[in-house]
Amino acid sequence: MAFTDELRAAAEPIWDAQLEHPFVRGIGDGSLEENRFANWVLQDYRYLKEFARVFAWAAAKAERLESMMWYATVLDLTLNTEMDLHRQYAARFGLSPDDLEAAPMWPTTRAYTDFLVRTAADGDMADLVAALLPCAWGYVHVAKHLAEVGGPEDQRYADWIAQYASEEFAQAADWLKGEMNRLAEGTTADKRDRLKNTFLLSSRYEWAFWEMCWHGEAWPV
Amino acid sequence: MGFSTEQLQRVQPVWDRILSHRFLQQTRDGVIPQETFANWMRQDYLFVEAAIPFIAALMPRAPLEHRQALGGSLPVLEKELELFKERAKKVGVDLEDVEPSFVNHAYVQFLLASAYTKSYAGAFTVLYVAEKAYYDSWMVVRAGIDHESIWFPFVENWTSDAFRGWVDFLQTSLDELADGVGAGERREMATLFELTARYELAFWEMAATGSGWPGLDEEVA
Repeated sequence: MAFTDELRAAAEPIWDAQLEHPFVRGIGDGSLEENRFANWVLQDYRYLKEFARVFAWAAAKAERLESMMWYATVLDLTLNTEMDLHRQYAARFGLSPDDLEAAPMWPTTRAYTDFLVRTAADGDMADLVAALLPCAWGYVHVAKHLAEVGGPEDQRYADWIAQYASEEFAQAADWLKGEMNRLAEGTTADKRDRLKNTFLLSSRYEWAFWEMCWHGEAWPV
Repeated sequence: MGFSTEQLQRVQPVWDRILSHRFLQQTRDGVIPQETFANWMRQDYLFVEAAIPFIAALMPRAPLEHRQALGGSLPVLEKELELFKERAKKVGVDLEDVEPSFVNHAYVQFLLASAYTKSYAGAFTVLYVAEKAYYDSWMVVRAGIDHESIWFPFVENWTSDAFRGWVDFLQTSLDELADGVGAGERREMATLFELTARYELAFWEMAATGSGWPGLDEEVA
């Protein structure tokens, strides 16, 4: 059994809970209110900035040239392509680049991105990939599930599903899974337990991110 | 006016809520339920464990005149862990296999991400606010708690002359650091100041409510 299969099995209840989350279901059947989705657009933009930082750490820490090139490419794509696409996509919800830049980072976004950046900074490559994987793989998983159960009429949601269910995103997730399996090979049982724990934590943050976007969030004071 | 005083005034609404928090008042008045205090113990034990790498991560960038004090704080934290273990044994609290709550996890990631990605002055700001909040908080408790209380050793720890001296050192040093940075970095320090204060408040609230990981604990823990 591949290590990523073990990770997936351990996270099954959390991943299932993501598919059942009203925010995710709302994208799938098109019933999600626009203001709730706008929360995602704004917070995901903040998330992407930090996500890019994690790829920069990965490029710096990668021990193989092939890995270094892959992380550097994803870093470039995130900063120079995906964030621009995100700005264009945001405009379809009436959100300007200024709105994206001015949006405060909500507590869950901060907690999740701090966790990723911290793990990238003080962990090794295996820790870093275990922390990244639930986002990269999880979005493909969610989008493919939504694509299978039918498409929403709202083209904006249909495009969202199509983007994350695309071959390009699926290949990226598969590459990272391969990297995870390679990095986990030959490690001790203790190390694999710690990687599993990291994977579960990021999975939980993924669920919490949907929850945050569904309800909206603010600091208590 | 020094930076620390200026910032304490700016975040006074948050600080007032920290110092008037029911967790502190109930502990002071001897009416806090044992399980509530035990919940704080379990979570704070994990927090102190994480504070050690946080301070250690500041060391390589610390100016020479800070190194002795920062280095000296590490064995003090180790002693704090011993205090937790001793009290836990005495009152029958299990500190083994405790999972961090969402707030605790987020706060710890914030500490470590600050250490790795912010300037030394920025990360030092986080350290000061966390310690200052603890000193002020436990002084509130000290004002009324029965010295025979089973919780009094914790109060003694964070209201001692030694701890006050540490906080004074941090305050003086923070003011000096703030005097030596530009306006942009000072603004960043102010943001970190406020965020840390918010986390301190959130930590007491988490301790009082026993909140774990929102949404998921009941369903898929």
